[in-house]
Order: sequence, then structure tokens, then C-alpha cells
Amino acid sequence: MSLPLLPTTAVGSYPKPAYLLEARRKFLRKHLSKEELTELERRATREWIQIQEDAGMDLLVDGEQYRGDMVAYFADEMEGFAIAGLVRSYGNRYYPKPVVVGPVGRRHPVTVEWFRYAQSLTSKPVKGMLTGPYTIAEWSFNEHYPTRRELVLELARAIHQEVVDLQRAGARYIQIDEPAIHTRPEEDFDLAVEAMEIVTDGVGAYTVSHICYGDVPKIYPAMLKLAVNQLDLALKNEEFALLETFKKSPFTKDIGLGVVDAHSHRVESVEEVANGIRRTLGVIPAKQIFISPDCGLKTRTAEETVGKLRNMVEATKLVRKELTETRNRGIAETRTAPR
Amino acid sequence: MRGAQPRSNLFKRGIATAPTGPRNDLVKDRLPVPELCEQETQLITTVVGNYPKIPDMPAPGKWRSAVEKFQKGQLTEAELRQVEDEVTLEAIQDQVDAGVDLITDGQIRWEDGQTHFARRLRGLSINGLQRYFDTNIYFREPVAEGEIAWVEPISVRDFEFARRHSPRPVKPVVTGPFTLARLGRNAYYQSGREFVLALARALNAELRALQEAGAEIIQVDEPALCRYKQEYPLFAEAMTVLVDGVNTKKVLCTYFGDVDGMYPQLLQLPFEVIGLDFVAGYRNWDVIARAPFTKTLMCGILDARNTRLETVDEIGRAIRRITDVVPPDRVMVAPSAGLEFLPHGVAKRKLQRLVEGTRAASQALKGVQA
Repeated sequence: MSLPLLPTTAVGSYPKPAYLLEARRKFLRKHLSKEELTELERRATREWIQIQEDAGMDLLVDGEQYRGDMVAYFADEMEGFAIAGLVRSYGNRYYPKPVVVGPVGRRHPVTVEWFRYAQSLTSKPVKGMLTGPYTIAEWSFNEHYPTRRELVLELARAIHQEVVDLQRAGARYIQIDEPAIHTRPEEDFDLAVEAMEIVTDGVGAYTVSHICYGDVPKIYPAMLKLAVNQLDLALKNEEFALLETFKKSPFTKDIGLGVVDAHSHRVESVEEVANGIRRTLGVIPAKQIFISPDCGLKTRTAEETVGKLRNMVEATKLVRKELTETRNRGIAETRTAPR
Repeated sequence: MRGAQPRSNLFKRGIATAPTGPRNDLVKDRLPVPELCEQETQLITTVVGNYPKIPDMPAPGKWRSAVEKFQKGQLTEAELRQVEDEVTLEAIQDQVDAGVDLITDGQIRWEDGQTHFARRLRGLSINGLQRYFDTNIYFREPVAEGEIAWVEPISVRDFEFARRHSPRPVKPVVTGPFTLARLGRNAYYQSGREFVLALARALNAELRALQEAGAEIIQVDEPALCRYKQEYPLFAEAMTVLVDGVNTKKVLCTYFGDVDGMYPQLLQLPFEVIGLDFVAGYRNWDVIARAPFTKTLMCGILDARNTRLETVDEIGRAIRRITDVVPPDRVMVAPSAGLEFLPHGVAKRKLQRLVEGTRAASQALKGVQA
């Protein structure tokens, strides 16, 4: 099944329903078995797949109902990590920060089962979702490797195996999130590029990297060197200011265009979202654009999330229609033009 | 004794008695002018500022629970402030128990280094989340939308509270105008320079208010300086405006980088103590050897951003390297940045190790001098 023009998709996470949050708390206190928790995680996954289908989205995500944190999840499932404790991210939001205490590597496939499950629920394609090696390294404490470089490259080899396994399980779209990639652009952006080359080496699936929150202009156009087909970026957060950056040097990859703010409670109107897409069309050709929220939506309420996804899809349909009409008019004009 | 008492009594009990004692006098006397005395090999320990607000997993901690309840309308603002006070007392207790000489209130009430001040100044609004330097911590971007002005004291009540409850001297911390400007956005002033200087004038009033409240030493945090070195002339101009009429001892604290290219000019700034990060700013080791360090050096040598605990030997070697260049009576030993980058348990162990390592180094120095 091929994707339409301006395919709609999402970055990864959706909010967890109250019953799942409650179940996770009980599980932590050992009042709930792993099996019972997994059953509820599957239920929540089913619900989010259904919501995305109902909203009319084209390329789905599993919603990451089984993950607490995008780095800690991988750290928990891999060799060489311990969890050091909770560290504040902002406001009263905390995340469990892993610490590298030994050689890192995969014990077993990390995400493949969840990918299979989510894909079994829908005929729409589901993205395989991974956290990139640079981000895992950057968002962990390192007590083992003498240099960050050694840690990043070792993680890249492990994530590459995961990409290969996802592909083997049928994933045609694989996203490798690198939200930390522009943390030290002067110092080791090249390292991040080298790591991504290892991750996607010889991979036939369509690859995406999501990058958010930080100084994107600082790594542009260098970021176009990343060995992926698509870069997914947050545009709405800064009211499409990044378009100015893209005007200076053409965006040569596909873009995952963040059109709704993942950190505001306000549900953007259809017209507002459509305007963002229209503005982008003046800078990047339509065939290179995927439509998505700025970031994972797990910090929003379910209601806000559904509202944002729905309006995102409606706005995309509106713009698609305009593009078709313009093209048809163009064809009509060509036909009626005097010879 | 103190450790054996239940935590819940902490608040009612208060932690402190009067802030006196030989060690405290040592801290106060040391700054800014070193006086040669028999304790000259006793190095002073301090912290950069912030401290974890919640205990380690799995408990959410009373602060986090309180904020959640407050957001749901189940807790009044006064009740939330009360919890913040309690957590502040615990942060003070951890520092005092570890034996840190010059402490802060742990900045428990700070949303982040920018918002805490920007929210209470006129002319600034608070915008969306931005990454804080090269960390995985986020802050809300302050935006200048009108004439910036100081309206009322921002940190005086917090300073007074901490001082009242601490047996050790307390150092209030203010985010500097240069960092506030560089991490903010200017939608009002004609130039970036005017934006920085307007912030400097506003924060000058805050420093004066702290002085009036009896602060003997005030720290100004300027991590952005290490990232925007080319703006040093503007930075220096802003610092002059910032400290005008402020006669307390003053610390200029930099972190997340080195001061290569700004040294020794930095020594001309109107501060008695300069804080340098020797972990992220490892070049500072070479930098300080290039010219005599004529001020007191607050050296950040324990990595505030990694869980790995430095050994007493490592700390000793680092201090030795410092005291080869700066006399011991002009050295304060600290972590490289605020400890809130670490989980609570690790932060507490870093404090303990800071003191343990520094005391061992002081002993060793005494041995050398004897």
C-alpha cells in the first residue's frame, strides 16, 4: 500500500490511559504481575491504533504504551546499564536516568514483539521506533567507557542489529530518534553522523530520524548528512521560524513536518495547521513532506492528543485538495491554451 | 543524634542554631582578603547552587506530589510553599550533615534558573521550553516585551528563610543578566546590548535588596559566558552595572565551559571570587597557570553531571594542582555545577565526598607546610 501525498504520521508516544498509569504504579509496588501489566499495555496499544485509524492517519505508531522513558526503556532491555535514579527534566517532570556500568549490547530484540503486535492490528503501515545511539549515550551517565565516542559507537552497533530485526519482522518504516543530536554540535556532530551510518548500514527500509528541542539552525545544513531518508522536526513550536533556515540551503531529504505543538494544551485549529503546511510548501516541495506533530504527545491529555491528530489530518486533507485543484487548473489551462 | 530523628520533625524543629563557630568565621573572614593565619591550609568547601528536590525511586517525593496536587487544585499555594520550605530544610540538612562550609538553599523553589527571576521582573513574559545548554534539562524562555524593571525582592525571603535555619553561612544565588539575556529573547529593545544592560539594572536592585537583608556574600551565575566569549566587553559592562553599590563579597560563577580567551581579563571584574568549572571546562587547568590568580578561586572539580564518585585521591590530586597555582587560603572547593543533574542519593554522596576529599587535602597541605 503506497502512501498518499503529504502522508500523516506521528512522532511516537501517546498519553497513557488512567488504567495503565494505575497499573504501572501497582506493578512497581509488586501488586500486579508482569503479564497483567502487559495485557493492559496491549489494550492501550489497540486503543491508540484505533484512534489513529479513526482520525484517518496514514503511517501509524504504536504509541509507546509499554515504555516509561525513551532512553530508560532501552537501557532496561539492554546489557551494561543500571538505573541511577530520577533526574528532573523540567517543572515537576522527572525521568529515570540510566548509568552505563559495563559493556553495552543487546540481550535480545527490544522492540520487535511490540512492532509485530501493533502491525497485526492494522492494515496501515506501522513505524518501527528506536532511540538512537547518540541520544542513549548522551542521556545516560557513563561510568564505564573512557570516551563518549566508544560508548556511542558500541550502542550504534547494537541499535543496528535492532533495525535489521525490525526489517526482518516486516517494518518498512523505521524511525531512529535522536533528540539529543545537537547537544554539542561543534564537538561531536560528526560522531553522531558516523553512528547513524552504522545504524542504517545496508538497511532497505525507509528510515526517519526525529530531532527536537535545540538549536537546529546550528546543525543545518550539516544535519542533511545523516544517513536516513527523512528528518522529522518541530516547526510549530517556533511558529515555522525554521523555514527561514531552510530557505538559505535547500532541504534535500524528506521532512517530517511538526505542525502541532506537543507541549501546549491548546488544540490548533484546522485552518492554523493548514496555514503552517501552506507556508512550508513555499520552501519544500510537497512530495518531500510528511505531516506530523512536533514531538511525542505523551505529556498531553488524551483529549488534546485526539484533537491535535484530528485537526492535523483534516488540515492535511484540505491542503491536498488545494494542491489537486491547483494542479487540475494548471492542466486545464494548459489544455485550453491556444497552440 | 540528628540523623536519628524522624524527618517529619525537621520542619518544626528547624535545623539550625545561631550561625557561629570557628569554621563559619573562617569562611566569612576568608573573603575577599586572605589573612594569613594558622588555618591557612584549611580549604573551604561550597556548592554551586541547586540540589535534587525529590528522593530516589520509587517514592514520588513530597514536593512532586504537592505540585501535582496543587495543579489539580487539591492544595493551596500556601500549602505548596510549606512543602517547599520542608524540602529546603532537607537540602540544607544534607549540606550541613556532609560538612559543607558555605551552603545554598538548594534552589528548591526555582522552576529553572531563568523563570525564577524573569517571572518576577516587569517587562518579561515566559515562553516555551528550551534546552538548557548541553543538558537534558529544559527551561522556559524569557521574552522582553516591554521596559524591564525590578518590582519587588525575588530571593530575599528565601535567603532569610535559609539563613534562619542554617548553622552554616548561606550564599544567595542570582542568575546573571548576561545569561538571562542569552537564554532569552529580545522583542522590545533596539539592541542586544540594551537588553542585557536593562536586565543588569533590574538585577542590581535585587543584589541591593539581598545586601540590605544582610547577605554577606552573593553569587552571580553566568554559565552563558563560556559559550559567548566574543561578547566579553558587553559582559564586563553588564557586570559593572550589576554590582553598582553592592558591597557584599561577590562570587562570579561560570560553568559548562572554560574561560580560555578571557583570562586574565576576568580578574578585573568587580568580584572577589571567581568560580570555574574544571570538568566541562577542562581547559581551565591550563588557563589559570597563565597568569597569577589574584582573586579567590571557587574550583569546580567534582563532576556534577556524572554519577561516578571521585575518589579522595583524585580530589587530592586535583586540589594539589590548584594549590600549585593559587594559595590554599584563596581556594574554595566545589562541584562543577549544581547537583540537581544527579539523582538525590548520588548528589548526597558527592557532597560527602567533596568534604572528605577536601579535608584530606587540607591535612596533606598542612603536612607539606609543617
